[in-house]
Amino acid sequence: MPDGSFAHPQQRQFNPYSDNGGTILAIAGADFTVIAGDTRQSEGYSIQTRYAPKVFRLTDRAVLAVNGFAADGNMFVKKVKQRLEWYRHAHAKDMPLRAIARLIQTMLYAQRFFPYYVYNILGGIEEDGTGAVYSFDPVGSYEREACRAAGAAQSLVQPFLDNQIYFKNQKAAPGTTHPAHLPLSDVLSIVIDSFTSATERHIEVGDGLEIYVVVAQGRSPQGLDAFRGAQELSTQPNGDRMFIIRRELKKD
Amino acid sequence: MATASVYSGPGFDFTNEVRNNFLTDRGIPLPKATSTGTTIVGCLFKDGIILGADTRATEGPIVADKNCEKIHYITDNIRCCGAGTAADTEFTTALISSNMELHALSTGRKPRVVTAMTMLKQMLFRYQGHIGAALVLGGVDVTGPQLFTIHPHGSTDKLPYVTMGSGSLAAMAVFEAQWKPNMERAEALDLVCAAISAGIFNDLGSGSNVDACVITASHTEMLRNFVKPNERVQKERSYTFRRGTTEWKKEEIRALVVEEDITHITGRGTEEAMDTS
Amino acid sequence: MFLTRSEYDRGVNTFSPEGRLFQVEYAIEAIKLGSTTVGVRTPEGVVLGVEKRVQSPLLESSSIEKIMEIDHHLGCAMSGLTADARTMIDHARVTAQNHSFTYDERIKVESVTQAVCDLALRFGESVHDEDAMMSRPFGVALLIAGIDELGPQLFHTDPSGTFVRYDAKAIGSGSEAAQSELQDKWHKQMTLQEAQILVLKVLKQVMEEKLDHHNVQLAQVTPTVGFEILDEVRLKEIIDLM
Repeated sequence: MPDGSFAHPQQRQFNPYSDNGGTILAIAGADFTVIAGDTRQSEGYSIQTRYAPKVFRLTDRAVLAVNGFAADGNMFVKKVKQRLEWYRHAHAKDMPLRAIARLIQTMLYAQRFFPYYVYNILGGIEEDGTGAVYSFDPVGSYEREACRAAGAAQSLVQPFLDNQIYFKNQKAAPGTTHPAHLPLSDVLSIVIDSFTSATERHIEVGDGLEIYVVVAQGRSPQGLDAFRGAQELSTQPNGDRMFIIRRELKKD
Repeated sequence: MATASVYSGPGFDFTNEVRNNFLTDRGIPLPKATSTGTTIVGCLFKDGIILGADTRATEGPIVADKNCEKIHYITDNIRCCGAGTAADTEFTTALISSNMELHALSTGRKPRVVTAMTMLKQMLFRYQGHIGAALVLGGVDVTGPQLFTIHPHGSTDKLPYVTMGSGSLAAMAVFEAQWKPNMERAEALDLVCAAISAGIFNDLGSGSNVDACVITASHTEMLRNFVKPNERVQKERSYTFRRGTTEWKKEEIRALVVEEDITHITGRGTEEAMDTS
Repeated sequence: MFLTRSEYDRGVNTFSPEGRLFQVEYAIEAIKLGSTTVGVRTPEGVVLGVEKRVQSPLLESSSIEKIMEIDHHLGCAMSGLTADARTMIDHARVTAQNHSFTYDERIKVESVTQAVCDLALRFGESVHDEDAMMSRPFGVALLIAGIDELGPQLFHTDPSGTFVRYDAKAIGSGSEAAQSELQDKWHKQMTLQEAQILVLKVLKQVMEEKLDHHNVQLAQVTPTVGFEILDEVRLKEIIDLM
């Protein structure tokens, strides 16, 4: 109208979410777990930062990778860590991995109608000493798996993992069977190749790679020595051991 | 007289327009065209023009081609960089290249950059932006070095340094900081490289290598993959598969060479052989 | 006993000049009027036993409920104002369920005990102008038995909200005599059956009536079965063994 008013009702909308790209993945071995993520954070065609961690140490034996909307992801990790500290004070122990998995479900489902726009992958060592990966959808549906990729390049990486970890579409050589779990050195190679390949073909993946390795108590991190620059993060001398490996990825 | 069905008229074919609109309304979107979310630049220097481009082609967030060519040939002394829908830039520049050749033949003169620019803008304007080509056109002709940008709706600019595509801001930042008139060839080439690199590293739509093209009054030099700052790293593992990895349900072997019996229809041996002497 | 009794024994949220909360102390006294309740911890599990005072031949003894389940791995025996225990056990059950819902694991014995004790201290509490939810302290003590990753455990709670872990504990009217008997007889490597017999023997000593399967109740928490109240048949067998 001439006076600046509108003849018809107008609807305005604010979209509180955005997608910040990047990819995460985790693979469980028999007595170790590898959790990794690239460090690029982007919006549209712009890089917001080349180093924004998506993988976080929660306890001595649990690591959480968070992908999707970075603001929600960071807040979610902060709240999970707060709940872990409350739990530690209330129950005088670190929260076990499967308890963290369930906690994450309840925290995500609490936001059922205004969800955290994040895909979570939790990895670590279970109370029985086995490697475990739990993957979640944004509203809390979860499952324990041997491997999972999520994020921008999920559709590129997951089929590769299905083939290399689960040996999908591969017939075993006559008289042999496929192994249920791969050794650590093989898993690390597959993780690195997943990310260098995703970087080649997905514009939102790149810059840096952070790989967390959690090895069960009393097991040797055999195969880790081949990967230069592995830094130990363990706090206890004879508990589970945690390492981080950092790698550069292409920056275009 | 009705035209034969094999005859196809000039220009675009709109026969599927109604069907495609119907499908779009029913929730089946049109397939996405490859887009060269791109960094392309051009700049004037002492002896002529340097054009530059990255080599990434994308389909949404996926890299469709890691080393495509975005500096297209128009004539010996004119080149054109394309950004936008890959098919549109390739087809449009090829068409104008042909028309420029015909024009040169019929006029008997060396082609001019303004001619190509005018042909391009008239074509793009006619299609009202539906041809998604954003171009950087440069060359040296009888009037001297010329550099233009042409937008998808047909508007043009004539400037001493230009950028286009999704990485245009990153590249222009470099030009605005460092470009100056009458640069030497090496200095200008470095500047173009820096501008393209800014796009490659800061714009997700651009990537891989730097292509450049130096055009002077006497010579045109295409510098394909002038810089390769993003070579693929060595893989950690080998992914060769054992023979027999892929399972099959049924095996059937057929002979492709079928045996033939040759029956002589004529000259059953009774007639005398032809005298070939 | 309370020589300095004065106006300070009225309010639940007023200390006496000597630093005492009389209402809480009186609540602890109330437990000493309750029937005797005994708990014994062994490496094989925890045994709880209560005396059921059958005051009338017309009373249905099976309706006296002094041992209750909190969760699969947690049981509870009480002495004092048993009606108050309902509130506490309800709270303990909700806490245990909430824990397993949120964390997919069984709550620790100490944690559930802590939760109950937190509740025990909420008397006289009010928010802004609202009325207090609880007007007085609970008049009941609990023996909370359970098994978690730290093994079989036995906790004692009282109306002050204090809780302590015991190897063996007696509460209620006969608790003094019972406790000294437990101190004599309990040893580290007790079997579950020895514990069952010890509980019955201790109860027998402090009970006025002759002990039989109607006026006592036994329950236990074991790693395999979890919490269970022993039925009359099994109770009889143990009484016969005694």
